[in-house]
Amino acid sequence: MSKGPMRDEIPPGTLYMLILKTLARGGEMHGFEVANSIQQISEDVLQVEEGSLYPALQRMLIKGWVKAEWGVTAGNRRARYYKLTKPGRKQLEIELSQFQRVNQAITRVIQTA
Amino acid sequence: MSDWLAQLWRRLRFLVNRRQFERDLDEEMQLHKELRQEKYQSAGIDYDSARYKAQHRFGNVTLLKEVSREMWGWIVFERVAQDLRYALRTMRKSPGFTAVAVLSLALGIGANTAIFTFVNAALLKPLPYPHPDRIVALVERHPKYGISPVHPRSFIEWHERARSFEALAIAQAIPINTEGDDGPEQVAGLWTTSELFHVFGVWPSLGRAFTDQETRPDASPVAILSHGYWQRRFGSDPNILGEIIQIERQPTTVIGIMPSGFRVAALNTDVYSPLPLDHNKPESVGSRAFQCYGRLRSDASLASAQAELTVIADQVGRQYPIDEGWGVMLTNLRDYLARDTRQVLLLLLGVVAFVLLIACANMASLLLTRGVGRRSELALRASLGAGRLRLVQQLLIESLVLSAVGGAIGLVLGLWASRALILLAKEAVAFGQMADIHLDIRVLGFTLALSLLTAIVFGLAPAWQASRFDLQAALREHGRGAGDTRGQQRFRSALVVGEVALAVVLLVGAGLLLRTFSQLLQVKLGFQPEHVLTMHMVVMGDAARRANLVEGVLDRVETLPEVRAVGTIQFLPLGGWTNRGPFHFVGRPDPAAPESMESDTSVVSYGYFAAMGIPVLRGRPFSRQDRMGSQRAALVNQSFVKKYCRHEDPLGLRISGDWSDPAPAEIVGVVGDIRHDGLTTEPRPTVFLAQAQGPGYITYLVVRTAAAPEGLATAIRHEILQVDRSQPVTDIKMMDQYVSASLARPRLYSALIGTFASLALVLAAVGLYGLMAYAVSRRTHEIGIRMALGAQPGAVLRSTLGQGARLAVIGLVLGVGCAMVLSRFVASLLYGVSPGDVPTYAGVAALLGGVGLIAAYVPARRASRVDPMVALRYE
Repeated sequence: MSKGPMRDEIPPGTLYMLILKTLARGGEMHGFEVANSIQQISEDVLQVEEGSLYPALQRMLIKGWVKAEWGVTAGNRRARYYKLTKPGRKQLEIELSQFQRVNQAITRVIQTA
Repeated sequence: MSDWLAQLWRRLRFLVNRRQFERDLDEEMQLHKELRQEKYQSAGIDYDSARYKAQHRFGNVTLLKEVSREMWGWIVFERVAQDLRYALRTMRKSPGFTAVAVLSLALGIGANTAIFTFVNAALLKPLPYPHPDRIVALVERHPKYGISPVHPRSFIEWHERARSFEALAIAQAIPINTEGDDGPEQVAGLWTTSELFHVFGVWPSLGRAFTDQETRPDASPVAILSHGYWQRRFGSDPNILGEIIQIERQPTTVIGIMPSGFRVAALNTDVYSPLPLDHNKPESVGSRAFQCYGRLRSDASLASAQAELTVIADQVGRQYPIDEGWGVMLTNLRDYLARDTRQVLLLLLGVVAFVLLIACANMASLLLTRGVGRRSELALRASLGAGRLRLVQQLLIESLVLSAVGGAIGLVLGLWASRALILLAKEAVAFGQMADIHLDIRVLGFTLALSLLTAIVFGLAPAWQASRFDLQAALREHGRGAGDTRGQQRFRSALVVGEVALAVVLLVGAGLLLRTFSQLLQVKLGFQPEHVLTMHMVVMGDAARRANLVEGVLDRVETLPEVRAVGTIQFLPLGGWTNRGPFHFVGRPDPAAPESMESDTSVVSYGYFAAMGIPVLRGRPFSRQDRMGSQRAALVNQSFVKKYCRHEDPLGLRISGDWSDPAPAEIVGVVGDIRHDGLTTEPRPTVFLAQAQGPGYITYLVVRTAAAPEGLATAIRHEILQVDRSQPVTDIKMMDQYVSASLARPRLYSALIGTFASLALVLAAVGLYGLMAYAVSRRTHEIGIRMALGAQPGAVLRSTLGQGARLAVIGLVLGVGCAMVLSRFVASLLYGVSPGDVPTYAGVAALLGGVGLIAAYVPARRASRVDPMVALRYE
């Protein structure tokens, strides 16, 4: 079914981190921009099932990691823009360090094998 | 913490602005898809493919929205709300089923609520006194004579020696003569010692309590009024303190008003009077006839106080030989007040629990049946993605809605029924504080918990079973005939068997009580209560005045034309009172200790035996010649002769006893035994003394009349007022009213339990009918084939009937077995019937067999009328 370049599903549990990081880099973005940004920066390797972004964003709103405000796109359409909050920044750091720890551990396991 | 609060705040905002949030999410997702589509289009893909690809890449929008909503954590409530709406819709769609279900639950829960309100008032609710757990009731106890009220001498000794009590008091309820608005009036008095109010921890709201000095014989008379009497008689006059009122023709100073609602134990009192207790001569106020209450010190327990008083009673017994053997028994006030009612209340609670269980079994059976019919609907929901737990939850919520509605109606029904019961049972039960029926937190909680429990008990099994099905088969077969497994059939049969068994137990209980009632109706009273008018007088003054007054009344009443005979007695038969004490034969050293001889004592006037219709078997009745100054005469009853004069002629023997005047009396006659203490109490040895030779204060006038004595009471009252203008008369009643009152409790019990048992029978019959009707409707096809193949309608009828009969018989056997075990709980309420009474069991079996047969016959007949052509074409 899939055509074009090989695309990998995002590893479970990392979606929040990717969104947080993307928002940290890009400031205010709406959902489509976040999805596109992840895909472009990963050079089309990371494939977000785009819809799953929205439940994740809802959860982050509850947690208070992001704030949302309605704005207007370059094409003059209404869109909801998400912005990182202070707790969101903190969460990003937690997730990053956790990810790196796990990643290093996995790498060690693989290399010693 | 603040983080958590902030989250909750955001969630709540979501809940309030749910619609807005959904619209936002929609718009956002729509934008995303459009932007993606545009991107594809700008890469040269045509509109339709771009649109499809964008959709595909986005994913399942409905599911994603669902998941997003779920993130906010309100989904459980939303589902419950959804199920609730659905349940209400389902209920509206089948009003017949709903009505039957709600009604049977309402009856079951209502019966439980009604009984529980009494259990609550009598056994659970704290008594309305400060530290009620420290109030105890004291009675005297003798290994031979049993339990008795307290003697003033015992009270004095206990009061002096015991250290366990903060306060100790005796009291006696006594009618008091006073002035009413129109002439003499009798009110409810309470004679008491000074510490009574301290015992109950409640003090006059106006004025003061009695001092110790005021409860001595030579004190100037004072009185404390109840709030109710003060309101009624004196219009709540705030200046009442210090006023003089007439009590027993004595000017008496009002010194206090008790707060509204106060009562001593279960007594309704109008006027509190000091008991003139002479410490050197305590028996002058009476003998073992006083209620005794004490308040324990905070460092004393019931057990320690009991131990201390046991020692004291022992010492007193050594000091006064007449008190030898008498011990003390202390009881917590609540237990003391509930002593008559506890067992019956718990029994009734058990009975209504059975009724509710039957209602539950019925509901479970109904829901199971309905569950089969709804299988295709459930299968459809399952195929649309509803999980099994979700289906169970939905069915359980339907049960909850049913039981909640049933419970709400039951609560109203129950409170109403308990009020009605108080009115109906007023004659049978002294409700006291039990009559304070209020909807308090315990009753509400009980009914709520019961409704929840009920829903789970009857709802869980059907919900579980209904949600278990083979999806494809259920959808294909469209509900009809879909896999009704053997296990389900057996479960439903077991429910019906259980219902029948429970109903049998209740029917046996009701049958035993009914038989008891009919036995009581046949008890030989020993007197003729028909056409006997009685009225109550409290005669005051010195002995000569009391004797003269009664003689004057007798003389005048005798001359009235409709009067056949007239006399007086101190305590009426079946009136609830009696005098009991030791006696001895004068000049005859008894081999046994003299104290071991005991008899009831009754003070009667000449004419009494004729008026009451009691036969004089030997010797003579009292006559006008038995008067003050002449040789003292006595009559005894048959039981007395049987017990104490086995070897000699009682006539001419002289006896003396613990009477207010111990002068010896000569036995001049023997009368027949009567039931004095109650219908079920065997007659006791009794000595009758002549009123004229030792007049008491309390007197009942007993008048035998020619026929229905219309207007006679007024005439007699008129005659009494001719003798003494200030003499009040109360309690004007026919003697058969006393007989009927003593039947009131057995009548109440058999009526109550009979009602509940009938309810149980109807419910069980409905259950059996429902099961059979269901079975027949499901087998219509099969029966059609059988009849097409030549089966006779009679055979079909018999086989279907046999099926129902089998269940009824199993239930009956099971129920009889349980009843034999459980009937001992009613043993103490039975009279003349043993708990294993064969006719009762046979009657119940016959009744149940008959009702079961009808319940099974109607569907069986329908089965035998199946038209094979119709049945076969129908599929």
